[in-house]
Amino acid sequence: MSGFDTRAAAALADSTLKTAVERTAGTAEAKRTLAVAAFPDFEAARTRAAAIKDHVIAHLGHYLEQFEANAIAAGAQVHWAATADEACRIVVDICRKANAKNVARSKSMLGEEIGLQHALAEAGIGRIETDLAEHIIQLADERPSHIIWPAMHKTREQVSALFKAKHRTPHEEDSIAAMAESARRELREQMLGADVGISGANFLIADTGAVCTVTNEGNAELSLVPPRVHIVTAGIEKIVPSMPHAVHMLRMLARSATGAALTQYTTFYTGPKRAHDRDGPEEMHIVLVDNGRTNMREEGLADMLRCIRCGACMNHCVVFRQIGGHAYGGTYPGPMGAVLTPALDGLAPNRDLVQACTLNGKCQEVCPVRIPLPTLLKGWREKSWREGLEPTSMRMGLGLWAWVARRPALYRLATGLALRAMRLLGRRGWIETLPLAGGWTRHRAMPRPAASSFMAQYRKERRP
Amino acid sequence: MNARDAILGRLRGAAPDAAQAAALLVAPERPAVDESALEAEFLARLALPSVSASHDAIDTIADLPAAIARYLDAQGEAPTLCLPPDPRLDPCDWRGFTLHDVAAPAEVAALAIARRGIAETGSLIFETSPAAPMLPNFLALHHIVLLATRDIAPYLEDAPLPGTQPRAHYWITGVSGTTDIEGTYVRGAHGPRFLHVILLRG
Amino acid sequence: MTQQVALFVTCLVDLMRPRIGFAAIRALEAAGCDVIVPQGQTCCGQPALNSGDRDHAAALAKQTIAALEPYAAIIVPSGSCAGTIRCHYPEIFADDAQWLPRAQAVAAKTHEVMAYLDDVLGWKPDGVSLDATATYHDSCSGLRELGIKAQPRRLLKAVDGLKLAPLAGEETCCGFGGTFCVKYPAISNAIVGEKANAIDATGADLLLAGDLGCLMNMAGKLHRDGSTVRAFHAIELIAGMGDGPAIGEEP
Repeated sequence: MSGFDTRAAAALADSTLKTAVERTAGTAEAKRTLAVAAFPDFEAARTRAAAIKDHVIAHLGHYLEQFEANAIAAGAQVHWAATADEACRIVVDICRKANAKNVARSKSMLGEEIGLQHALAEAGIGRIETDLAEHIIQLADERPSHIIWPAMHKTREQVSALFKAKHRTPHEEDSIAAMAESARRELREQMLGADVGISGANFLIADTGAVCTVTNEGNAELSLVPPRVHIVTAGIEKIVPSMPHAVHMLRMLARSATGAALTQYTTFYTGPKRAHDRDGPEEMHIVLVDNGRTNMREEGLADMLRCIRCGACMNHCVVFRQIGGHAYGGTYPGPMGAVLTPALDGLAPNRDLVQACTLNGKCQEVCPVRIPLPTLLKGWREKSWREGLEPTSMRMGLGLWAWVARRPALYRLATGLALRAMRLLGRRGWIETLPLAGGWTRHRAMPRPAASSFMAQYRKERRP
Repeated sequence: MNARDAILGRLRGAAPDAAQAAALLVAPERPAVDESALEAEFLARLALPSVSASHDAIDTIADLPAAIARYLDAQGEAPTLCLPPDPRLDPCDWRGFTLHDVAAPAEVAALAIARRGIAETGSLIFETSPAAPMLPNFLALHHIVLLATRDIAPYLEDAPLPGTQPRAHYWITGVSGTTDIEGTYVRGAHGPRFLHVILLRG
Repeated sequence: MTQQVALFVTCLVDLMRPRIGFAAIRALEAAGCDVIVPQGQTCCGQPALNSGDRDHAAALAKQTIAALEPYAAIIVPSGSCAGTIRCHYPEIFADDAQWLPRAQAVAAKTHEVMAYLDDVLGWKPDGVSLDATATYHDSCSGLRELGIKAQPRRLLKAVDGLKLAPLAGEETCCGFGGTFCVKYPAISNAIVGEKANAIDATGADLLLAGDLGCLMNMAGKLHRDGSTVRAFHAIELIAGMGDGPAIGEEP
């Protein structure tokens, strides 16, 4: 069994996981449906959102330079990182220069992608995760299982036990509100005492040099305003040309992610504290991270760079809903993760991700930027086939099928024989065990085929 | 080669046509707002469960302390307030209040003056300045916002003000909330649990 | 005027349930078509295409194009096979100047059978009746690649005595996914298990859909679970053949 198979089997055997995933993803799906129905023309808005991202990706160099110039003019320091390691090194260096003992992190998938938490730990820098879900993940010493709800895999009962074990003054009443209150107590002082605040970016505004973060908890602002230094790590694809472009993307992001019209807190940071400002960091650093994105742009995955990390694709994915996020094994789960992970970490160790999809197209249907996820997955499957990563049984089986199917007379003869053999295995219309198709009959019966094929019957009936 | 040159070297291409970027913004799809009834539209969004802010209205700025006292009393809170150093508040008589201008970690109530209100979403728009600190608006349990009704605009596109951008420009649309445990909504995750808007109609 | 159409029967219908092919012919003939079954047809190449085996997919696509291109219209009793021809053949030959126009021409005149009867011919079953309650599952390729949603329901509404019970999650994938169900049987099983429960919960006598692969998956699961729900391709009912054996029943 592959690593994926093992993880998926464990996930399927875990009924608690199923309950947890259904509770959150099911709620998200229902809320998104209502939000989309209430929007005047969501389909046209999706087309516009895709066009905005395509425009940016086509002119990415131009917009990055414009963003950089404006951010520097506003007093921010801009750094560039080609790889995950380089990005981590830059962040750790900034923290060291600031003599940082503790950093407060506001959830960022890019931070997860580049392994920033490990880099900080190796550098001996304390880290406080301030997003409630990331806080749960940090206490449990686990990995996020969803890009919007990283602790989606945990039930309230599990979170309650965790907080009771780890919080200084945990909740007494077993309600979700009381658990959230316990985290509020635990985190507030830690956030206010951090030396450096680290965030990602939901959007980078080219014509102002602003960095946009969105949260519903307000943890980004509480993590980024008090410390002396604010570090942003952002993928280079996060650019939009201007604020009105960002407005359109924000309308799409909130509705697709949580079904809200807008996130509760939407903040645009332009440089560090100004003269006479009462609060804000002394320094603002923006680390622009490539980590495979220019490759994706050149190698047929430019459409994937449209992704705004809303999580709608995974909330609506039948496979994700059964196995949760951890089974995917990478930073990004679900359909978008199945496309991204091979680009970030290589196809060979991730070939299962591109195969474990029914190609039902629901993800593409809900994607706010119209990413053709099934098409991109099929592109990976072609590469996997070309590179010989697919199992011999599959290669031989499909090869034989195609060889026979290209010879119609032989095909009729061979399939006729196969049908007769298959019929011998069945009784009263059903085959309960079928050699070479154990994957099917282990879980369901196979209808017994007809005595002769359509083509044979048709020839017999219709021959003049 | 440094990372900047390496990355930009692979992204070279023609500069975009400004008209092309602008064309992407023509007639954006967005929720309809009745522009002849902006205050009503704004208040309707403010009352939505996702925003769930309360509101009050005053005719002059001098009425503000009484309105805040009323609100805090109704909430069972003492008349203690974190106040921004904004000269527009000079006409206010704060007798009976305990005031401070640096927010405590467990701040009970903070006042802020919104630059705009957005009818589309019920959002309050703020910008940092020497007279407008940011942190109190996130630390306080009760976030009290003064908004002049003439500053209500229809759409989110109207939120940013032209010209040089402030250090932080931020939109608040409701209270600090989380759905991180089983997708269940909880108010007051890290920041304010209550949002109270006082409309200035004068 | 009689419209001559070619039936692309699909390999799965050919081998597993010929009755669907005959039902398609019967409905098309009732709608005034002259149906021809081109003899050079086998498999459209969908399994190879979805597995990344582009060379074999292209070879089978060429054979299928050559077999079908002489006809004015090509009718397919499967949303996913019709989708392969309509949507994916032109993609396969995007860089092939010789085959692209041929692929596009065949794509443009290929129709899923129920969409053809309803959208193109505006036909409805007449004098067909069946006293039963059915629930309908929207197979993914037909739904999302070809926009098949209202057409089967309109056609089924014209079957006297047939009541339609809505299926919760009718647009949710059944977990078949072609080779997916044998590559990842446990995940597929979890998905189809939920689907089977939803089908049972409708209280319907019959499960209908427009793709035999999905139907075999759901019917096989329902049978294994001991359900009494019987499964048919919707075209069988539309053609007045709903009184015959369901999938997995023998006459």
